[in-house]
Amino acid sequence: MPLFAEARSNLSDHNDVWLAGLLGPASRVALVAVGGYGRREMLPGSDLDVLLLYEGQDGIAAVADRVWYPVWDSGVGLDHAVRTVAQARKVAREDLKAALGLLSARHVAGDENLTQALRRGVLADWRADAPTRLVAVREQCQERAAQFGELAFLLEPDLKEARGGLRDVHAIAAVAAAWVAPAPGPRVRAAYEQVLDARHALHELTGRGLDRLVLEEQDSVATRLGMLDGDVLLRTLAGAARTISYATDQALRQVDRLGVGRPRRFGVTARFGRSSGPSQAPPGGRSSPSPFREPLADGIVVQDGEVMLARGATPEQDPVLLLRAAAAAAQAGLPLAPRTLSRLGQCPPLPVPWPASARDALVALLGAGHAAIGVWEALEASGLVTGLIPDWERVRNRPQRNPLHRFTVDRHLMETAAYAAGLTREVARPDLLLIAALLHDIGKGWPGDHSACGAVVATDLCARFGLPAADTALVVAAVRHHLLLPVVATRRDLDDPATIRQVVTAVGTGGAPLLELLHALAIADGQATGPAAWNEWKATLVADLVRRVSAALSGDRPAGEPDQPRDDLLALAAAGGPAVFVRSGAAGAPGTPGLACEVIVVAPDRPGLLWQAAGVLASHRLAIRAANATSAGPTAISVFQVVPDFGELPDAALVAADLRRMLSGRLDIAARLDQRAAAAPPPRAILVPPPKVTLIDDASDTATVVEVRAHDAPGLLWRIGRALGDCDLDVRAARVETLGAEAVDVFYVTGPDGAPLTTHALRSRVTASVLAALGGAAGR
Amino acid sequence: MKLITAVIKPFKLDDVKTALQRFGVHGLTVTEASGYGRQRGHTEVYRGAEYQIDLVPKVRIEVLCEDDDAEDMIGVIAKAAQTGRIGDGKVWSVPVDILVRVRTGERGPDAL
Repeated sequence: MPLFAEARSNLSDHNDVWLAGLLGPASRVALVAVGGYGRREMLPGSDLDVLLLYEGQDGIAAVADRVWYPVWDSGVGLDHAVRTVAQARKVAREDLKAALGLLSARHVAGDENLTQALRRGVLADWRADAPTRLVAVREQCQERAAQFGELAFLLEPDLKEARGGLRDVHAIAAVAAAWVAPAPGPRVRAAYEQVLDARHALHELTGRGLDRLVLEEQDSVATRLGMLDGDVLLRTLAGAARTISYATDQALRQVDRLGVGRPRRFGVTARFGRSSGPSQAPPGGRSSPSPFREPLADGIVVQDGEVMLARGATPEQDPVLLLRAAAAAAQAGLPLAPRTLSRLGQCPPLPVPWPASARDALVALLGAGHAAIGVWEALEASGLVTGLIPDWERVRNRPQRNPLHRFTVDRHLMETAAYAAGLTREVARPDLLLIAALLHDIGKGWPGDHSACGAVVATDLCARFGLPAADTALVVAAVRHHLLLPVVATRRDLDDPATIRQVVTAVGTGGAPLLELLHALAIADGQATGPAAWNEWKATLVADLVRRVSAALSGDRPAGEPDQPRDDLLALAAAGGPAVFVRSGAAGAPGTPGLACEVIVVAPDRPGLLWQAAGVLASHRLAIRAANATSAGPTAISVFQVVPDFGELPDAALVAADLRRMLSGRLDIAARLDQRAAAAPPPRAILVPPPKVTLIDDASDTATVVEVRAHDAPGLLWRIGRALGDCDLDVRAARVETLGAEAVDVFYVTGPDGAPLTTHALRSRVTASVLAALGGAAGR
Repeated sequence: MKLITAVIKPFKLDDVKTALQRFGVHGLTVTEASGYGRQRGHTEVYRGAEYQIDLVPKVRIEVLCEDDDAEDMIGVIAKAAQTGRIGDGKVWSVPVDILVRVRTGERGPDAL
């Protein structure tokens, strides 16, 4: 819309002429346009932002009156000041808002030398103080984002203040003025003009200087801009805002690089201090960015607060690398480096169905909660999301016309997944909860009932993700019925058995696992939608309904019973063991040949065998993805599925030798793990829900089932097992699963007397000591 | 004029709204409320954990009407909200002195 831009600059020119006329012939004074007027961006509702510069004049008050009074009388809003060059520079040094306005100072009338002196002085001061001023700019951007939200995802955005709005571009320009980052490029300029045009049309239509694009004005603003309707307008603005947000992040990251006032993430300094003294950054002072690279995951490192590819990483040959890098970044609470994003674009498309490692990475990414949103946005900005989830295209930037929603559909899906990450301890299948949350409104891209359409799309996507049929059925049912609980709870009589029957029928064969998924999804969906959609009142009603339906569902939830050992293992057990096998590639998922490995330990049963073996594996930097422990007669059979923390698999012979030393009691595992902890990957910087320990009595007649849900961490199984051992419990069988970054571990334990745990004291001691063991992990 | 207030079970809101519309009521205010009456709070056991339910979710409806209509309207609401079980709620009316329609400044029954 060049017409709008022309109108803005015409209005500026008009004002220039008017003000010059008011000032008349005068020496040693100058009128300077600042802020939006300085940039020739006069909107119908804009104030005139003018500075009267002077030097050494007594009669300046009369000059000021000559200019200001006619402006006031005309009714035009005036933001004015009368200053010498030195005064103006002083104000700019002390007040950030004034400084930003003066950065776009433009001569209007009078003595041009004065204006030039001001411009030079202000720019010189800005550059000299750049390290502190730019940090203030960054903080201001963050405060604005927190207060006004993000333009791209809000349904009634503030075009000026919101993240991705006009002020962000001014911030980029301010960073560029200090020579710290490049000036806004053509794409950002174009996006800026789009947002400015919308604000221009809004001013014209309302006759007021409004910045918030409220729902009732959207259609008429769209028409004024030559667009079909408000939906098209919001989509256009969302695209522009995303461009601006991304460019702002890039510029502000350059500010971070200045190294001043920069928040040190997850104790980087402390870790440097432990591993290598000389590279330790001086506390609180200026430090040059350290080139130190810390390994974060396979093929992925952290450098200077950004997640990058390791030197040996080969995106061209590693389709899973994209999701793995995204998951690692989100779990560490760090951004992906821009260059890394473009290299990740070279990853070949994932095979369909996805390998298990890709699915795991997606779940780990979503499981990072709100930390995942920034990473997802970076993938979006690089055009990488559609390659993963083609159907995402239909919901991207899609506005929703409804008073409850705050966000566009795609952002609402990410927000729901983020809230779901806080509820992963409430469900037996955190992975399915996160995937269902990501997909629950995906049907909004199609006409018709979005739950029904969503179920169809979710079926396709689950097949793409490579989920087993039973899991797909749960996810699809969760998407199909994601509104069931809130609707029934608020509109039906919960005392009526027919109501409960209706829900039981809808839940059908999904049973208790589906019900808990639906409950958690309803909470996450409501929280992500906004305070109008979710509150204590509604939560109470939904929880009441869930209790009633849960009681009506026949049978309790299955506690993840250990699999029966395979015949070949039973034969080994019959021989009495001990035997240790390490088979690489046994459970190798397609796409990651040779990276997964199966470890089998067959030995005469004794307390602590399982967790000691787990400790040995952890000491070899092997992450346990799954474990299954059972016994045949007096012989214990433990099968572990492990993947290396970093790239290459350790020598199988060394692992086997250590396991044999452990079996014969000749290995101090605790000491070994302590040693390793010094070189462990960085601890999680993100907030994760606290671990949860549940004792279940009715799952087995001969043992008590201890179910532990926790965020995965190195040596997790070792710590839980040792805590159980400290309570003199015998782990008779176990089933351990790591879903993304969430571990769900089930132990069949008996007390010192060989019977299920009955005394209250012992039961609470078990819960407390497992939680204590895990609490220590979280703090490390 | 009277202000009629009803505290009812949430799922009965639609029935009450329909009944009031049929009675000729043009506007009402609905609030999400919580409370308890004769049924008191109760304790439930869910997955081994005890939940104390002190406050039961309810919906509060407020309608303004002429003095003469109050009795009938209370009857309409009570009938529509009734399930016959404990926790059905209450309906009452209080006199209203002054009423202004904000948009036009109309006062008294004209503002209804």
